[in-house]
Formats: sequence, C-alpha cells, structure tokens
Amino acid sequence: MTSETVLKASQRLYDEVITTGLCTLCGACIGLCPYFGMNLRRGTIRRIDPCERDEGRCYQYCPRTDTDMDAIYRRILGVPYDKDKIDIGVVRDIFLAKSRDADILKKGQDGGVVTTLLWAAMEEGIIDCAVETRMDEDKSPVGFLARNKEELLQCAGNSYEPGAVFETLNRIPRDSSDNLAIVGLPCQVAAVGKMKTYPSQNGVNVDNIKLVVGLFCGWSLSPGSFHTFLRENFDLSQVIRFDIPHHPAHSFDVYTTSGKKSIELDEIAEFINPACSYCCDMTAQFADISVGSGRAMFKGWNTVIVRTGAGADLIEVAKKNGMLEIQPLPEENLTHLKKAALIKLKKAIKKITERTGSEQDFGYLKVRAEVAEALLEE
Amino acid sequence: MVQVKHKVEKFNIATDAPGHVELLLGNEAIARGIVEAGVQVAAAYPGTPSSEILENLVKVAKKVGMYAQWAINEKVAIEVATAASMSGLRAVTAMKAQGLNVALDFVQHLNLIGTNGGLLIIVCDDPEAFSSVNEQDSRWLAQIGDYPLLEPSSVQEAKEMTKWAFELSEQLHSAVFLRSVTRISHASSVVTMSDIQRLDRKASFDLAQYFSPSPVVQKHAELKQKLEKARKIFESSPFNWYRGPSSPDLTLVCSGTGWLYALDAIELLDLEKSVGIIKLGTTWPLPVEFIQKHLRPGSRVLVVEEVDPFIEVHLKEQMYDKWGGDELPKIYGKNTGHIRAVGELNPDNLIDGIVKVLGVNYRGRNLSYDKKAKEHASKMTLARQPIYCPGCPHRASMWIVKRVLRLEGTDGFVTGDIGCYALDRYHGGQRVTRTQSAMGGGSGLASGFGKLEQFGFNQTVIAHCGDSTFFHAAIPAIINAVHHKSKTTYVVLDNSTTGMTGFQPHPGTLLDAIGDPAVPVDIEDLCRSLGCAVEVADPFDLEDAEQKLRDLVNREDTKVMIYRRKCGLIVFREEGPQYKVWVDEEKCFGEECGCDRYCTRIFKCPALIWDKEAHKAKVDEALCTGCGFCFKVCPQSAIVREKI
Repeated sequence: MTSETVLKASQRLYDEVITTGLCTLCGACIGLCPYFGMNLRRGTIRRIDPCERDEGRCYQYCPRTDTDMDAIYRRILGVPYDKDKIDIGVVRDIFLAKSRDADILKKGQDGGVVTTLLWAAMEEGIIDCAVETRMDEDKSPVGFLARNKEELLQCAGNSYEPGAVFETLNRIPRDSSDNLAIVGLPCQVAAVGKMKTYPSQNGVNVDNIKLVVGLFCGWSLSPGSFHTFLRENFDLSQVIRFDIPHHPAHSFDVYTTSGKKSIELDEIAEFINPACSYCCDMTAQFADISVGSGRAMFKGWNTVIVRTGAGADLIEVAKKNGMLEIQPLPEENLTHLKKAALIKLKKAIKKITERTGSEQDFGYLKVRAEVAEALLEE
Repeated sequence: MVQVKHKVEKFNIATDAPGHVELLLGNEAIARGIVEAGVQVAAAYPGTPSSEILENLVKVAKKVGMYAQWAINEKVAIEVATAASMSGLRAVTAMKAQGLNVALDFVQHLNLIGTNGGLLIIVCDDPEAFSSVNEQDSRWLAQIGDYPLLEPSSVQEAKEMTKWAFELSEQLHSAVFLRSVTRISHASSVVTMSDIQRLDRKASFDLAQYFSPSPVVQKHAELKQKLEKARKIFESSPFNWYRGPSSPDLTLVCSGTGWLYALDAIELLDLEKSVGIIKLGTTWPLPVEFIQKHLRPGSRVLVVEEVDPFIEVHLKEQMYDKWGGDELPKIYGKNTGHIRAVGELNPDNLIDGIVKVLGVNYRGRNLSYDKKAKEHASKMTLARQPIYCPGCPHRASMWIVKRVLRLEGTDGFVTGDIGCYALDRYHGGQRVTRTQSAMGGGSGLASGFGKLEQFGFNQTVIAHCGDSTFFHAAIPAIINAVHHKSKTTYVVLDNSTTGMTGFQPHPGTLLDAIGDPAVPVDIEDLCRSLGCAVEVADPFDLEDAEQKLRDLVNREDTKVMIYRRKCGLIVFREEGPQYKVWVDEEKCFGEECGCDRYCTRIFKCPALIWDKEAHKAKVDEALCTGCGFCFKVCPQSAIVREKI
C-alpha cells in the first residue's frame, strides 16, 4: 500500500494543481495512463486510481507545475527567454492572413487559417495527420485525429472550451511513425513544449510532432458550468458555431439553424475558468505558428505569428500553392496586440504573487532575475 | 442394528436399504432423515451452511414423491412448507441462521397457529461466521417462540433427530426446530440407514379449522402446555444421556458439537475417572429432571455449547428453583469467562475451561502459540482474501462502478449486500462498497441516502445487488425509492444464478429446483413496470456499460442499471474458455509511467500475475477461464486475446 507520508507523482499533481484552482483542463495528464480521467459533464479531472510512481509524465508535462522558461525556449525556439519576449514571444514574422478556399472559409473561424495550414501540411507530406478537437453532438470539443481535408473541416470552428486534445495524442501507439501536427491553446502548447524538452521513452514519439499550431487565448470557458448553461438555453443539436466578435462588440454569439443569438459577455463571465487568471501567455509562445482573430477591424481575417523555421517553411508552402491571402499587419494593430498580451501577463503575475505570498515567487513560472524584474514592472 | 437386506451398489439418499452404511455429509444425512420420515414438501432458500439439505432433496424428489422448491426467500419458503403442513402433509424448511431472521415474523405466529402434518424448521448456525456476516445463536429465537428444539451432536444423530422430529411435531401439533452448525452440517461421517416411510398422504385443507394465532392469550396458554408436554417427552429421550463416574469432580453439560469436543478434551486431560458428561440433544425445553438426576448439591458444571450461553443461562435459572443457597451447583461457561464467549468452540478452548475450573496442571498448546504461529505463517504465505473468480462479470461491473464514482468526484460509494459481488470489499475488489448488512440492506439504505439532499448530502450513492438478492429482498426497497423520488441508482448484477451458495435457481431462471420448466420473472420488465429509468448492458461491453451508468447517475430520481452477464464459472463449465489470452511482453509497460502495473495492481484478476524477474505481466494459464475481458483493461493493449 502507498505510504501516506511520501507523495507520489500523480498525488502531487492532484494536490498541487488539479484540486487547487490552477488546472486549466488542458488535458496533458489525460491519456498518458489510465489513472486520470476527465469528466466532461462536470468539467473536472479526477484520479480514478492511485499510481505509485515517484515520477511521472503527468507531473512533468503539466503547464502549471514548475516550467523552466529558458530551457523550453532554447529547445523550441532556439533562444533564451529574455524580457523582450514577455508580451508576445518570438516573432519571426507577423501578418494577417485569410484562406482562399470557399469550403474552409464557410466553416472556419475568422480567416480559416488553421485549417488551411494543416491542409497545406498534409498535401505537402509534412504531416500524415493532425491532432485537433471536433465538436460532438452535444457541441463539446473532443480530441480527434484528422487525416484529410474533410476531417479537418469537421474540426474547424472554435468552441471556447478547452478540448482534450492530449487524450488523442497520448493514445497514439508509441511505435507509430505517422508525422503529426497538434493544435492547442497556450497552456496545451506549453505542455507540448515540456514534452519536447523532456522526452520520454513511453508514449508517442515527440519527434513525430512536426508542427505545433497555437491559438490566441484570453480565457476559456468551463466545460462543466458553461456547457450546462448552453444546454439550458439552446437546443444544441441546432447550433452551428460560436464566435466572440471582439471590441466594439461585447457579446458571445451562438449561430443556430434559425439564426444568431448574442449573449452579453458579462452574462457568461461567471463561467470563465478561474485557473485562466494565472495564465501569462496570450499568444501560445511555444508554437511554430500562432493564430488569432483579425479582430473587428479585419473581420474574416486571422492574425498570424510565425516563430520557427518549420512554421516559416509551411507558410511558404501555403503561399506557393495559393492557399492563403496575406496582408501586412498595421503597426497600431501590433501595438494593440502587445498591449493586450502584456495586460493579461501582468494581471496573472499579480494573481500568482498574491497566491505565493511573495514577489520573488512566480509559482510555476521559473525565469531569470532580469526577466523577473520586467515581469514585476507596472 | 437392522439387518442389511441387500448389497447396495450405487447409493443415493432415496435408496431403500435399511442397515446400509455410507459416508455422508451432515446435510446429506439430514436430507436422508427427511426422506425416511416420508416428508412430501420441502421449501428453502440457499444459505451456507444449510444449502445442501434441499440440494440433496431435489435430486431424489420425484423418486420419493416429494415436491421440493427453492423459494424466493426464507419467509415465503416456510409459508410454502406450512401450507403443506396445514393440508396434512409432512413438510420441512431449511435455512441459515440469518434466514431465520427473514422468516421470523411468520415463525412467531406459526407457534400459536399450530400444525397438522409434521413440520420441521431446520436452522444452521455459523459460529465464527465463516460464511456469514454475523454469528447469531438461533436457539434464542426458537425459545422466544416456545418451540421444542433439537440439537444433533453427530452426523448420524442429525439423521435420527430429523426423522423423529416429524413424529414429535405431529404429537404436539407444533413445528419443531432442529439447530445444526457448520461442523455438523459440513462434516462427513459414517451413517447407518433406516427404512424409508412412504406416507403418500392426500393434501386436504379442513374448513372446520381456523388457522390463526387468535385468540392470542388462549393460544399462548395452549402453547405453554405443548411445551410442557414436550419437556415430559424429552425427560426420557434417547438423545440425552450421561457418561462418566457416578460422583464426578466436574460435569460437562454439552449440546451439539460440544459432545465430541468434550470426549476429546477429557481424553487429552486423562480425566475419564473424574469428569462426567451430560449430553443433551433436546435443548429446549431443558429436560430438567434428567439433568438434576445427574447432579449433586454443589456440583461443578461446565456448559459446552456453540455461540451463546443459551443452556448455561437457562440451566442456572432452573437449578436456582430446584436448589437454594449452598446447594446450588456451580455453573461455569461463557458467562463466567471459562469458555470463549465469541467465535467457534474447539477442544482447546474447552480444555482451557476445564483446567480453570479444576485447577489441574495441563501444558497444552496455549493461545499465544496460535498467535506466534500466525505471525510466522504470515511471513511465509500470503494472507489471501476472497476474490472474484477469473471470468466473473462482477469484476467488470464493479470496475465500471468504480470508474463512474471516481469520475463523478462526489465521494460517492456503494451500499453493499450479500452475495458474490460483496467481495468488492476485500483486497481483490475495487473497494467502493462501504456498507454491508442484511439481504436487501444495501438497497434499503440507498433509498434512505437518496432523501438526504435537503440536509446537504451530495455524494453519489449506488446500491448493488445480485439477481437472487433482488428477488429475495431488494424489490420493496426499490419500490420505496421510486415512490419517494429517492435520488438513488440501483445496479442489479444479473448473472442468472444464486452464485455464492452454489448456483441454485431463483425466480428469474428458466428451470425450478427439480429441473422442471418454470416461469422466469424478468428483472428488466419488473423494473420498467415501476416507471423509473431502466438501462440494461453487458458489463463486458465496457464503453457501453460505463456510458449508460454515467448518464443514469446524474438523474434526479431513482434509476436502475441492470448489468446482465452469465456467471463466469457457469460459462466456463458449459462452454469452455471463449478466448486464448496472453500478454505481449514487447508492448507491456509494466512498472513504467503509463502503466505502473495496472492489470495486477488495480484490476487484480487472479489469472493476471506479475513476473518479478521479467518486470512484465503474464497470464496464468491454469487460472485463466478465457473470458477475454482484461484485454480492454490494459492501457497499452498489451493483453492480447484470440477467439477460440
């Protein structure tokens, strides 16, 4: 029987993150093993049985356990985590983009860039499949392995709740040689960053992950309480898509077969996952390519940040095949983006230091001294 | 000694061969006694250590013109037998001690009603609770009802007493109790047969009689007279005797197994010349004149009986009336601390009692030796607790229940019941069962827990019960829950048998006790007729069974999940193994992150073993029944199965 005094890896994760309000439901701990499970209805992660190991991937990959920013930056982006990166991370290139494919534009969010890039990667043979999320009949995002354009289209469209994309990734047999892309929220992308920095013998070979696409994220909605709210107010079988159209609009839009219904954002504020308030990353800084909305000024477009060589290569492929329309991002939009990212970061740092009780202690975020100073600046 | 008329080649308990000698199980001997007495109706509910009585009767029932029934529970069983008795036939019912509790309401009215055809109530107690969840002494309940009570001390005597009990019952117009224990019912010994009576009475209900306990006080007075009549008969019963010196230093008063332990103890202590034994076979009412004949004023008496100081207490009370002051015999036993007050009797603790009373010097094996021996043995062998058989569907069902409860995350639990599925509480189960009590108790408790929401209760409660338990006792509890809108989930584990007691049929099975076609009562239809949500699944169909239960547990009202799959042992016996199962060692993660010995440490089928040298899981082919379920359990799909 397990000793009560020595905490094992899964117990530590449970006691330090999952039950303490830090868990973003990124799902990196799901699917690695049978010991953790996700209750989608309640929006909770639960330990089903006790694992007795002192060390485990679940604790290591969690984006809310100790995250050595320098180590992961060097591994993924080839540079250290300096104070000039704290807002929107490494920017190799940044622009606005929009798909040229009518099918994708119809289904995709804003400019349909994520779907287009994955399609381009498949066509070019860079990847065999993409680990994404797809909405089930109840319109909950569930992990899905897409292998062709039609399946990519099924995955297109935001749900604004975290999807258990890792359950699908972790269940891929370790002897599989398929090349993969993975799409995730910033916390999920951070977990992938940790997986690449600390690879394991078990589970999917991280070298197979050829492409990481990150999504911009301010906060996500709790699959438990928010989905109950949706169920109570809508016939989910009639829902087509969701959208948050951004300032000056202040709504959460639900598109159904009988039209659009707008809910005041303030009304759904109570369903925001409280754990999101500890998140410092608005633009998914560990991705090869990060994609967000073009916002009100560029409705129907995506903001795209390219961070790595692999990302840049893929953009070239998409451009070459005429799959994307591209235009420069105006300076004021870039300024606005950096400002928004910085606000999210500073709010999170404040919450973290309140929680740890010390301005020297950033909880899970491990940074060098000069970066720490920058994080604390007003 | 009866002359053997002919040589018997193949013996069964209906073989008419007076004088034939055979090795019989105690319960088999009792069944033989029932056949010899010309009994025409037998009804019972399975319960260890009584089950073999009816099991043996059903084998010969048609041959001897008997109707034998596995009734839905012990109360209905005794009612079925009583109908036969009312109609003039000799009838018998048999049950374990706890079954008497179920039948007790009827028993406590039957005493005043009286009987026509001889009626025997056989109760088998379980000292040390080897197969029960209490170790009650049923003799008190016979006494409460003013019933005459017999206790056999050997397998032969069990047969003789059983046969004679019907005569006694017809003499008194009262049902008679026979109390056995595990060491009589489940012991085997040589038995000499007597001749078989074929009564072939015609069943007929006399309209001139009114079978009722009323008028109660008058009938109670009549019952007291019957009891006194019984006592007079007992005073000269051949089942009571005295052995030993005419002026012993100590007299052992024994009933049941006490007799044989007393013989052992006296021999070991070499006290044949100074210790006498009063052996009692008729223990209520006590044959006080007989006992008094073999005692002197101031005699030292040590009472030797199983479970409670029943005879001890009554003996003290009755001797007090006969003698007074200094002349009172000194009566020792469980109440005086001379014999262990709990657990099963054995020659060792009897020897301790004798030594204490007489002050003799005896260096036998003492209790601290037992303690030391156990400690050493625990280092050499594993303490194995009971576990679900390989292939058992309950392992799959409780696996699913655990997953659902843990994923709900509400500190949910299972209210347990009596049967194979109750093994969840041991090391080999998933240990989500947190209560255990009487038959149907889990279902009743759950109906109560489901009404505590107004007091802040928000834990998920699931009651489980088997198919036989469902019929026996759970139905009223489930109806209660439905009617009161109790927020409870019932999981009925239907494996098409009454498993724990030996695969007896029940009202849901296709055949009756004798093997004739019966009308199977469908659990699913019955539950649906209550108007509550009902789902049915095969627990081996893991995803479907789990999803259905997860959807059910969140409903506000009462709901029933039926996990239906035949008992794994029956499938293995009837059809053989379904799959060849083995572990692909290349895929097995073993102790690594991603597994941590999931199949052997968490799932715990005994046929899955851990190879300490290879650090891999393996299938033990000697234990595996080829059910194939474990292949769904392995997170790395390292357990492989191939259809046979």
